[in-house]
Amino acid sequence: MLTLQIVLSGILLGGLYACMAIGFSVIWGVTGLINLAHGSMILIGAYVTWWLHTATGVDPFLTLPVSAALLFGFGVALQRVLMERVIRSSLLMTLVLTFGLNLLLVNILLQLFSADVRAVTMPYSSASLEIGGLRLTWTRILVFAIALALTAALHLFMSRTRTGHAIRAVAQNPRAAATLGIDVRRVRAVAFGIGAALAGAAGTLMAALYSFSPISGEVLTLKSFVIVLLGGLGSMGGAIVAAVVLGVCENLVSGLGAPGLRDAVSFAMLLAILLTRPRGLFGANHAADARAR
Amino acid sequence: MPRTRVPAEPRPAHVAAARSNRRRRVVVAAVAVAVLLLVAAPLVLNAYGLRVLSAVFTIAVVAQGINLMAGYTGYPAFGNVVFYGLGGYATAILMGKAGWPFAAAAAAAVLLAATLVLVIGPPLLRLKGHYYAIATLGLNEAMREVVANSTPLTGGGMGFSLPMPEGGPLFNAVRFYYLLLAAMVAATWVVWEFDRRRLGLGCRAIRDNEAKAEASGLHTTRYKTAAWTLSAAMTAGVGAIQAWWLTYIDPPSMFDMALSVKAFVILLLGGAGTVLGPVAGAFVVELLANLTWSRLLNWHLGAMGLLIMAIVLLFPDGFGAALRPGGWLGRHLQGWRPRAGSEAPDRKDSP
Repeated sequence: MLTLQIVLSGILLGGLYACMAIGFSVIWGVTGLINLAHGSMILIGAYVTWWLHTATGVDPFLTLPVSAALLFGFGVALQRVLMERVIRSSLLMTLVLTFGLNLLLVNILLQLFSADVRAVTMPYSSASLEIGGLRLTWTRILVFAIALALTAALHLFMSRTRTGHAIRAVAQNPRAAATLGIDVRRVRAVAFGIGAALAGAAGTLMAALYSFSPISGEVLTLKSFVIVLLGGLGSMGGAIVAAVVLGVCENLVSGLGAPGLRDAVSFAMLLAILLTRPRGLFGANHAADARAR
Repeated sequence: MPRTRVPAEPRPAHVAAARSNRRRRVVVAAVAVAVLLLVAAPLVLNAYGLRVLSAVFTIAVVAQGINLMAGYTGYPAFGNVVFYGLGGYATAILMGKAGWPFAAAAAAAVLLAATLVLVIGPPLLRLKGHYYAIATLGLNEAMREVVANSTPLTGGGMGFSLPMPEGGPLFNAVRFYYLLLAAMVAATWVVWEFDRRRLGLGCRAIRDNEAKAEASGLHTTRYKTAAWTLSAAMTAGVGAIQAWWLTYIDPPSMFDMALSVKAFVILLLGGAGTVLGPVAGAFVVELLANLTWSRLLNWHLGAMGLLIMAIVLLFPDGFGAALRPGGWLGRHLQGWRPRAGSEAPDRKDSP
């Protein structure tokens, strides 16, 4: 029964992870950037929620549009001003650039909010649903539902709207997209904005569940990367499955004896995936393939 | 009688050779003078000055280690700092728990790092580009977690204290200055030998076109692993020296990705795949970083980030390329944009 409980809450945790990772995946797939500042962008979302909650007492879930909108703007500006300059240069430059950006963001967060660990608690934080001896807090269920809804909305956006089609075209082949009259720079800016907005939303969801501090971003970036690798770049369904797998594995490791090794799970998975299935379990890696050619 | 103009003949080979010989002599002389100045520096510098220069030597060695992989072989070893931490922790445990003298402990630490690469190198080096970079990053994170969770052996998150080096603070500042200077000179010498020998030639061939290198009969895995082994060994060596000097180490400071990234910035600035570039870059970046350090107490992380971003944006092809005609200034005037040609050769997204 305990194991079932652990697995179930791992699945719910997977929703949050999927939201983090899909933002990372959109940015990587469309702009080719591995955004090492992704974790810090998630934290910005979390701090927006924390700040609004402590200042006005508003329910943390209601702050989601604010953090998502704020990070959308931030992402668009970032792509326009900074990332567009290195988009065609070597991979090292983009890694180093986003690492430098990450240091700057961490420092800003440290100055604004100090290094203290923060958490958001609601009056209904401990209220839970009980089914046949299994206990699940409503917060976790709500986080899972919102994360899935966001993913579904993104899927609809990508498959039904003109902008969504343009984004997918640029991800597959920027040059061909440009010849069709698509404004590639604008599309990349929008895609970066969407990825950042998902990071902001994930930050809000994370704030409702966990405590955080300005330095917890690095682990979040790596987890996003692991999930994208496992699910396959550009595959949204793959990302959800991979996120659930990671959530369950982490919960099993920490629930059954070794809580300190919780984060090590994702790194071990990272190395294992890279060595055995570098294209992910679902192998939908055509975007990266197109770029490699 | 009108004088006819003699058409200019192509410069004879021996003249060109003499030129390159003279150029080499100038470089050798400059390096010798610089080393002599650095050897004599403790006569005039105070403990703070020595400390700053020691930091320069340390980061120069880390940069040379990454230079062998990223610069010569084309493999961005983003998490190479893992060997720095490994070397530091191995030295700390052997000195603190087993009572070994420093020299023996450091030698064992270097051997350990080299052995680790012999084991993990061949599988990890099958990955390319992003995937290799992030795999090494994951290796560093995984190692840090393991060290932080092996409390009985490593002290875990509380850190580990080594035996204090004997002698006063100024004596130690001078001793570690010379140790780290020796490490930098040794690392640069290794890179120089690497550069002019068969191993370096093979690795450059891999960097330029791995498939062709392999088709020409080069055992690419062996060459790549050899380069990474040297890289890991020098990084572990400087980690060992630093651990003894710090006398207290903990996982975040020994497995600090910022060290790797700083080394990459140095490489970008100084010129990757050159013998002396990383050393020159280390002086520029570390001295700049130290200037910001001492002035901006609360913002040193952000200043470091800004410095990194500025260097990447302003010198995308290194400082040398920016100085050359048609380099930085020319491009700057035309509206700044990275060259299309700078896309290759390390952008290979397929694993």
